Amino acid sequence: MSAMAYIAVSFLVVPLIIIIINNLISRKAAGKVSLYMACACAVIQMASSVTDFFLLSAKHLHEYKFTLLWNMEEAGAEHFGVTSLSLVILFCIGFVSLISVLIAFKTIEHKKISYVNLLMTLILGMNGMVIVTDLFSLYVFLEIVGISSFVLIAMFQSETGLEGAFKYLVMSALASIFILTGLSFIFMYTGSLQYSQIGDILSVKDGSQQTLIYAAVILLISGFAVKTGSVPFHSWLPDAHQSADTAVSVLLSGIVIKVAGIYSFIVLTNLFSGVPAINLTLAIMGIVSIVTGALLALRQTHFKRIVAYSSVSQMGYILLGISTGSTLGLVGAVAHIFNHATFKSTLFANAAALHEQTGTLDINEMGGLQKKMPVTGFSNIAAFLSTAGIPPFAGFWSKLLIIMALWKNSMQVYAGIALFSSILTAAYFLRMQKKVFFGKVPAKYAELKEIGGSIKFAEIMLTIVIIGAGVCFPLALMYLKGRGIL
Amino acid sequence: MNASGFGNIILITGLLLIISGCYCLIRTYHLLKITIGIELAMKAVTMFITLAGYINGNIDLAQAFAITSIVIEVVVTVVAAGIAINLYRKYGSMDVRNLRKLKG
Amino acid sequence: METVIYICLGLMLIFGVMAVMLHSMTKSAIALAAASAALGIIMYEMGAVWTALIEISVCSGLVTVIFISAISLSNMDKKELEKVYEDKKRMSLLPVILIVSGVVLVIAAISAGVSLPEANQTVNTSGDLREILWNNRQADIWGQIIIMITGSAAVVVLFRERD
Repeated sequence: MSAMAYIAVSFLVVPLIIIIINNLISRKAAGKVSLYMACACAVIQMASSVTDFFLLSAKHLHEYKFTLLWNMEEAGAEHFGVTSLSLVILFCIGFVSLISVLIAFKTIEHKKISYVNLLMTLILGMNGMVIVTDLFSLYVFLEIVGISSFVLIAMFQSETGLEGAFKYLVMSALASIFILTGLSFIFMYTGSLQYSQIGDILSVKDGSQQTLIYAAVILLISGFAVKTGSVPFHSWLPDAHQSADTAVSVLLSGIVIKVAGIYSFIVLTNLFSGVPAINLTLAIMGIVSIVTGALLALRQTHFKRIVAYSSVSQMGYILLGISTGSTLGLVGAVAHIFNHATFKSTLFANAAALHEQTGTLDINEMGGLQKKMPVTGFSNIAAFLSTAGIPPFAGFWSKLLIIMALWKNSMQVYAGIALFSSILTAAYFLRMQKKVFFGKVPAKYAELKEIGGSIKFAEIMLTIVIIGAGVCFPLALMYLKGRGIL
Repeated sequence: MNASGFGNIILITGLLLIISGCYCLIRTYHLLKITIGIELAMKAVTMFITLAGYINGNIDLAQAFAITSIVIEVVVTVVAAGIAINLYRKYGSMDVRNLRKLKG
Repeated sequence: METVIYICLGLMLIFGVMAVMLHSMTKSAIALAAASAALGIIMYEMGAVWTALIEISVCSGLVTVIFISAISLSNMDKKELEKVYEDKKRMSLLPVILIVSGVVLVIAAISAGVSLPEANQTVNTSGDLREILWNNRQADIWGQIIIMITGSAAVVVLFRERD
């Protein structure tokens, strides 16, 4: 097999091997080694996705098809496929998993083996979602992601953790029911659910049979909107993020809501480009999410809840980018997926550092920690400037691309509201920064020290990535222009 | 009845089952009954998949979908029951009204 | 064939409503098992033989056992259940809602002229499922393997008593 085949297959095989090793060796040895193995898996995934991206562009292929242990040539057989878009998302998956493992070195003491098992199945589910070419397999891997994340939230059996996991489970089950009903309505009209065969069959239907297809599209959009956490189905998101352990919150906000929700929307808009009003629905959902998330974040007092509502708001930006339907919007949305992964991970790493050192996450109790924890304070400033879209940080470029795409598509009102809510974003983050890091130090924190070890390493690395991505972004844009995408 | 009416009746019955499952999910106070509501709705969805395969002529592909869907349904039930039992061990009862710690 | 399907549809609705409205949790789980059996008969009549087998053995059997073991870990007296949860009163609107929405749906279906595609009577024999499942849908089989690994990891971490 060629190099590309080995790399493409490794996305599925490496986590499976690590699960098998993790469970076969003795408990004591596994307790020491398992987190390092998870770290190795994340690094391997990042390296192989970057290598595959350059190999794919060198061969000028659009999509590389491969299978795992079965014959691809039979009639009606489905295959896995990697495109450039899926390779970018695979890189983000590897990156956020690495950050989560770095945080887990410090914050998780018991149950390390179970954490690594569930993290590997979560990575398998997300990898599977971006490389399948069939709608029903997309649903199966979506369920894998969902079940892994419920158990990860509920794992430590705290009262808030179990409650958050149960709320997430109920809403996710409703979403699965909607998605499956929509899929079965589509299956009634077409003979199969593969991506390549749906598009040409659906365009030749006449009016009387279109009622069910419209109903199917509405059901699919509602189901995926629950998974993304966009308004009006966002109520599970703050509870799940607040009550989970910080290593799990990074995963949830950094990659799960994006792969499970946003990638499905990208697939949906590609398949159903013939049905009008999908783009309008996505745009309206996006705008409402941006404003609602920002307004609700202004009155929170728990550090992680502010960050969770900020996630709701940023998902709205990505939805706006997808809803334009143009390539520029899609590139802006994917760039924002990567940027959001970086700055959200920074914010959660800071939350872990604060919780480890002070023992609380209530911003009213903290103050003046800039002198005691300088690295945490500086990375927090970098993260929130990037969120608000201030140059030269990376967030500025992706927001610029999205607003330019909206302007070109004559959706100027949306562009105006999106620009205005950058001010709201800066407002709630500034409030958080002021209360936590500036001001006077309360007496009980006089002996506080900076966080050390792996979390400090993660914060420094993330700050370098945010600033570096912001500086190198024009180079990436020129590279894309050279390849003819933009 | 013609073949088209037959399909419509199954469609309407399935939608009624989904409505009752969702109603049970929303109104009940008992943790395990929420799981029964989810189960009822997923049975209706399995019926939709089989109906789609029957109309399509491709009943074998629909059987493959339905079998996979049943496997997923069992695992979701097991996880939900596990979380419910853990909540029972913490609070001593299966009442949903106990879960009030996360607000705002 | 069609009369059998209609009878079983009616049975499934009745058992479903009973499962929602009953107080005692064990009777509710048994009503759900009976609804699964009715669904199995419907699927057999439509030609999906293997799915009917798996539905009856897994959903009617395995899931009911899981429910009853979970219920027996949290046993409550029937009178106490009625006083605390008041299921029959809270759910008493359900038959009314079902009848109203049934009428609404029938009217909507007739007026909008929703017509499903014509049923193809060329139902294949049961030998083909195994070929399709193992040759064409291998991604689903990998998915099932992974979801069973996830389920077992979940059970290990959630049900363990010692700390």
